[in-house]
Amino acid sequence: MFRYVSLITKNALRNRRRSILTICSIAASLCLLSLLLAIYNALYLSDTPPAQARRLVTRNKISLTVPMPVYYRDRIRQVPGVVAVGVNQWFGGIYKDERDPNNFFARFAVDPDALLTIQSEYRIPEDQKEAFLRDRTGCLVGAALAKRLGFKLGDKVLLRGDIFPGDYEFTIRAIYEADEGDDVMFFHINYLYESLPVGRRDFAGTFTILIDDPDSATSIAKAIDSLFENATVQTRTETERQFALSFIAFLGNVKMFLFSISAALTFTILLVSANTMAMSVRERIREVGVLKTLGFTSRAIMGIIVAEAAFIGVAGGIVGCIFASLLCAALRQAPAYLQIVSGLRLESYVIAVSLLIAALIGVVSSFVPAWSASRTKIVEALKFSG
Amino acid sequence: MSEIVIQTRNLSKEFVRDEFHVVALKDVDIDIHKGEFVALMGPSGSGKSTLLHLIAAMDRPTGGEIRVLGEDLRSLSDRSIARWRNEHIGFVFQSFNLIPVLTALENVELPLKLTNLKKKERLKHAETALKLVGLGERLNHMPRQLSGGQEQRVAIARAIVTDPDLILADEPTGNLDAASAQEVLTLLSRLNKEFGKTIVMVTHDPHAARFATKVRYLEKGSLLPEGQAPADWVLPAAGGA
Repeated sequence: MFRYVSLITKNALRNRRRSILTICSIAASLCLLSLLLAIYNALYLSDTPPAQARRLVTRNKISLTVPMPVYYRDRIRQVPGVVAVGVNQWFGGIYKDERDPNNFFARFAVDPDALLTIQSEYRIPEDQKEAFLRDRTGCLVGAALAKRLGFKLGDKVLLRGDIFPGDYEFTIRAIYEADEGDDVMFFHINYLYESLPVGRRDFAGTFTILIDDPDSATSIAKAIDSLFENATVQTRTETERQFALSFIAFLGNVKMFLFSISAALTFTILLVSANTMAMSVRERIREVGVLKTLGFTSRAIMGIIVAEAAFIGVAGGIVGCIFASLLCAALRQAPAYLQIVSGLRLESYVIAVSLLIAALIGVVSSFVPAWSASRTKIVEALKFSG
Repeated sequence: MSEIVIQTRNLSKEFVRDEFHVVALKDVDIDIHKGEFVALMGPSGSGKSTLLHLIAAMDRPTGGEIRVLGEDLRSLSDRSIARWRNEHIGFVFQSFNLIPVLTALENVELPLKLTNLKKKERLKHAETALKLVGLGERLNHMPRQLSGGQEQRVAIARAIVTDPDLILADEPTGNLDAASAQEVLTLLSRLNKEFGKTIVMVTHDPHAARFATKVRYLEKGSLLPEGQAPADWVLPAAGGA
C-alpha cells in the first residue's frame, strides 16, 4: 500500500474545495471531541500530582455549605497518619465592582501555618512567608492573580463581605507561584473570626489534611469520619481530587454527558464523511474500471479508496487537535471558579485516541462506497459517466 | 505460421439489459497469430468492443472457449486475471482514460506499481516509454495540459510500459482529429512492425483499418469469414498504410 501513497494523497485532494471543507468539518468536530476527551482525562484519568495525593478534605456530611465545629481540627490531628490539619473557609465577598467578572477570584480564610505546610508545592520566598505569618491582616495571593489584577507586595486589598458582612482590608504580604491554582487569595482565619460576633466564631467550612502516605488515604479518611459518626455534625472525608470532582457532580452525570456528546459528535462526523466519500467515489467509478484494466485487484482499489478517506479523516483530526490544544491553553487561563480545568491538557494519548477516531471515521465512512466500487465490473465501470 | 496468441471457439456473450435479452457475440471463432495487427470492424452494436473486452479478460463469456497467450481465461480467478492482465495486456481506450490528478510520467508508471520494481526503476521505464511515443519533453505535464493526441500517446505509453505481449486498442482514434489520429496509428504500426507486438484494434474508421495487417468484420455479434465485409461496407486495403 505504501507505493500508492502519492496516488492516495493526490486523489484525496483532487477536489480541493470539497476536501478542505470536509477536513474543516471533521476538524471542527474532532476539536470538540478532543476537548471533551481532554476534559474527561483531566477529570477522571489523569495522575494526581504527588502533593495533592497526600491531601484529604473533610466537610460536613450534610452539605458543603453547612459548617463544622473548629475543634474537630484537634481531634482529626490525633488520627494516626495525619501530619497537619488546617481550616479552610470560603469567604466569598466582593472586590471592587462585582459586575466585572475579572474582579472575581477565590478567597479563603485559612490557618496560615497549616496552609504553608499542607500546600508544600507553593513556591514562596522565605521573607514573604514570614511577613504573611506575622501580619494578622496579611494575605497571600497567587502569581497569576497578582498579574491579572496588578497586585504588588504591600498593596491594600479591600473586600466587602457578603457571607460575612463588613469591610475587610488586607495587605498583600506574599505572592506564591504554583503550576496550578495560582489565582487564589488566602488570609488569616483569625482575622475573620475576630470580626464576627462571639456566637458566630469557631466554625470551619472544611479541613484540609496532610497525610503521611497517599496509599493510606482511604483508611485515614474512614478513621476521621468514624470519629464523628455519633456526633451531631457528621463528616465526610475524601481525597482532594474527589472533593474537586464533587463540584463537577453538581452538574449531573458528567461522564454520561461527555460520552453522549462524544458519541453524537462522532456519528455526525461519520455522516458528513460518508456523504463526501460516496460522492467522491461515484465520480470516479470510471477510473476504477481503468485501474482494474491496468491490473489493480478489487482489494487494492478498496484499500486505496479507504486510505484516501482515512487520510482526509486524519488531516481533519490533526487540525482539530491543534485547535483543541489551543482551546485547552485558553481554558487553563480561566478564573479560579473553573479551577478544575486548570490541569486541562491535550495529553499525547488523548491526541492518539482522537487521531485513531478520525482515521476510523474515514475507514468506516468509506467502507461501503469503496466495497461497492471495487466490486463493479470493469465493463460497467468504464460505461459509467458519473 | 507463427504461434496463435488468441483463439476463440463458439465464443458467446449474452446479457440482460432491463427486460431485454441481448446477444452481443454469437459463436465467434477467431485465431490471431503472434505479431499480427488485426483491425476489428463493424457497425455499432456488432460486438467488436465486447470481443475485445473478452480477449482482455475484462469481462467473462457466457459460452464457448477463449484462450489468450495459452491461458484459458475462464479458469482464472479474478485475482489471477488481474495479475495476468497487468503482465500480458496493454489496453488503449478511445477516451484515453488517464488519471487526471497524475502527471504523464505518473500515469505511465501506474501499471508498474503492481510489479516488484523499485520506484527509481519504475520511473526509468515510464520515462523510456514516454520517450518512445515522442513525449520525452512532457513527463511532468498533467493530462489537462496535453492535446488529445498527446493524451492518447501517453495512454499508449502506459499500455506498453510493462512490455505486454498483446496490445488491445478500443477505437484509439475515435476522439482525435485527423493529424493526431495519424500519429497514433503510425505509432501503433511501429509497435507492431519494429517491436513485434501483437495488436488488436477496434475501429469504425476504414482509414485506421488500413494500418492493420488483417481486418475482420463483425455483424450482429457474428464474425464474418476472413475477407468478407458487410454488404454496404467498403473493404479497406489492410496493411496498406
